[in-house]
Amino acid sequence: MHQNNIEYQKKDLPKNLSQLGWILFGAGLILGVIGFFTDQHRALLNYLIAYMFILSIGIGSLLLIALEYVGGADWSVPIRRVVEFLSSTIIFLPILVLPLVFSIHDIFHWAHTDVVAKDEILKAKSSYLNEAFFIIRVFAVLAVWGLFYYLLIRNSNAQDITKDQLLTKKNIILSAIFIPVFAITITITAVDWLMSLEPHWFSTIFGVYFFSGSVIASLAAITLFVVFLKEKGFMHPKLIDDHLFSLGALQFAFVNFWAYIAFSQYMLIWYANLPEENFWFLQRWENGWQYLSILLIIAHFIVPYAALLSQPAKMDPKRLKFISVWILFAHFIDLYWLVMPNVNGYYFSLIDIVVPLIAVGLIILVFNYRAKKSNLVPIGDPKLQKGLDFRVP
Amino acid sequence: MNIDYSQELPVVEGGLKQAQIEELVAKPLDTKPDKKFLIAISISGSLLLIGAICLGLTFYYGIGLWGNNQPVGWGFDIVNFVFWVGIGHAGTLISAILFLLRQRWRTGIARFAEAMTIFAVMCAGLFPAIHTGRPWLDGYLMPYPNQHQLWINFTSPLIWDVFAVSTYFIVSFVFWFVGLIPDFATLRDRTTSKIKKTIYSIFSLGWRHSHRNWQHYEKAYMLLAGFATPLVLSVHTIVSFDFAVSIIPGWHTTIFPPYFVAGAIFSGFAMVVTVLIFVRKIFNLEHIITINHLEKMNKVILATGMMVGYAYAMEFFIAWYSGNQFESFVFINRAFGPYAWAYWIMVSCNVIFPQLFWIKKIRRSISIMLAIAIFVNVGMWFERFVITVTSLHRDFLPSSWGYYVPTLYDIGILLGSFGLFFTLVILFTKTLPVVSISEVKAVSEGAQPSHNGGHH
Repeated sequence: MHQNNIEYQKKDLPKNLSQLGWILFGAGLILGVIGFFTDQHRALLNYLIAYMFILSIGIGSLLLIALEYVGGADWSVPIRRVVEFLSSTIIFLPILVLPLVFSIHDIFHWAHTDVVAKDEILKAKSSYLNEAFFIIRVFAVLAVWGLFYYLLIRNSNAQDITKDQLLTKKNIILSAIFIPVFAITITITAVDWLMSLEPHWFSTIFGVYFFSGSVIASLAAITLFVVFLKEKGFMHPKLIDDHLFSLGALQFAFVNFWAYIAFSQYMLIWYANLPEENFWFLQRWENGWQYLSILLIIAHFIVPYAALLSQPAKMDPKRLKFISVWILFAHFIDLYWLVMPNVNGYYFSLIDIVVPLIAVGLIILVFNYRAKKSNLVPIGDPKLQKGLDFRVP
Repeated sequence: MNIDYSQELPVVEGGLKQAQIEELVAKPLDTKPDKKFLIAISISGSLLLIGAICLGLTFYYGIGLWGNNQPVGWGFDIVNFVFWVGIGHAGTLISAILFLLRQRWRTGIARFAEAMTIFAVMCAGLFPAIHTGRPWLDGYLMPYPNQHQLWINFTSPLIWDVFAVSTYFIVSFVFWFVGLIPDFATLRDRTTSKIKKTIYSIFSLGWRHSHRNWQHYEKAYMLLAGFATPLVLSVHTIVSFDFAVSIIPGWHTTIFPPYFVAGAIFSGFAMVVTVLIFVRKIFNLEHIITINHLEKMNKVILATGMMVGYAYAMEFFIAWYSGNQFESFVFINRAFGPYAWAYWIMVSCNVIFPQLFWIKKIRRSISIMLAIAIFVNVGMWFERFVITVTSLHRDFLPSSWGYYVPTLYDIGILLGSFGLFFTLVILFTKTLPVVSISEVKAVSEGAQPSHNGGHH
């Protein structure tokens, strides 16, 4: 057994991190409430975007934890706690979702029974898209995620004290079960919260699209926290730029993957040009939304692709910090682009900026809260030494 | 069995020394063909001959010999094409993507999988070339300013296929050849035969195993891996476009590109497992292509099998969710119509049987994994059959409903493609090192410096 806990000492995270979290959260909340009273519908949709932002980073991080266990990765062990802290927003989702659940009627077209009664297509899918079943699905999905979060994190924390290798084995099994469960639940989430905003539209790849966005956003958030904490000396001293390289490379891979999925969806609908599908993209190509569509391609693909292409760029802390913030911004645009153009006559408003502050502030606060409770390095993990020894060949 | 997660598992087992690895891999090249080899090649050669005869008759009489009819205008030709392109996906995934992911275990199987990729793409390329029954017109697939001023239809995904598949073939071939250069040099240095020495010298391009050689080699290998990685995705994406850009219910659906790629990796890995089980046994490579290798490949089969299952489920769900009666009809017709037998073969082989790989014992049992891998191969062939035939056989008007039955010539040509594939595989085992000698040496115990002073 290697002695690796000597070099790591637990420190409290800097005060200004929690201060920043409170400021962003408070400002977002106050301005958001003001926004709610000026334009209720818009504020609700913005809250939906903020909720999906938190959700995607939380569940994307939990997936990355599961992938580490199943894939047997070593390099990510020294930074796994950062990922765990980011995934802890999952336990707050059942509370955060309440304002949305109470306003299903305002957000979703299909929740109006009088509209559905007159619409043959909506009537055909009303056995899936109805309020009762929708609420059951929402909470069932959140309960399943909460359960897997609880079990995986409990084992990981327990290992800090016991150093029991059996816990790694348990988490590998849990993770293997979680991954297919994740695939189903994230698809349900994407269809319910985003695709059904335009209930006539359908696309089989949509779950994969939301999944790819979630993973790239989670990677960006992880990288940002890792680089920040490493610079301030909170991480294990043996964590070096080689570890960052893997994060940069994964970001690069998922930027490409997202673009591939987005292109596949667009290309096939554009080429076939069937009115039952193409109207969704046409909505995003008129009334000024076309500029946002172009911005999405540039922000979510071209810029990060160019910035991360070269090998040295993938391990440059400065570059990674910049591009991580950039990708998080792009992820926000992506969600905005999925939600807002569904509403006729909507265009950019100041409310759109203030509500996301709630999401950013909340993620920082939850991170800070969790960081107080656990070590920032999984000191009992048997793969920690191998992970610290990792070098880019 | 308890694993110590703090330790690295050895990739090469049995404590093989460097010289032993060389000896083991080069042995089939140093010995004369034995009886087993001759039996194997005569079987595969016979299949190839059957295919050649059927093909010759097709060229003479035309494709009226095939089962294609109205409304099923696409039959075995496209099914076999997509099947073989799919088989050709494992090699480049193993050699390029697993290389970029720093998976050391890939070294033992990469060479063989890459060779299978090249042969499978050759088999695939056969079908577009013959599907008109007039192979002498294939030149028109290339955009060149000919005297008739005929220009290819750039908006057709079938022509994108020509470029995608030929690019994939070229890059896979170059990748494979670059990997072979150090091994050619090793063989050149060992051999005593003058003819062999000349041949190996030419192909080793003056390799001297020098530090400088290796530096350039590693850079080139990494760049090629970077180029090959998007190709793994692009080829089957384009193949899926053959179907998905159309507006036929059952073909036009947005999940097709990633679903086809997952399916291709799934079938490719199944084929690699099927063949490697025999190769490691016949050539005594059990210490280099270990049970651990096979177990990892079975895990990939399990994962990609579930991705394919996800796509089946998603297609079904959205066909209903869309509220489009034509979409729903096609999918209900697939599962319960006249081709239900093919659909359920596909589902059970691709989604249900691979679930057995959740059990560790089965992942490590040679006989059961062979059975499952063969099931997957059958299932993936049927997947393409289901997509092609069931979507076409009942057109929008019930007056143009039909049923497709392949003729003996269709089956003969399919057998011929297997004959071509296995003939090339068997010849490969006798002429080139089936395992990368230099790469396996690099991952054998004691080959690399270790940060904690090694753990031997």
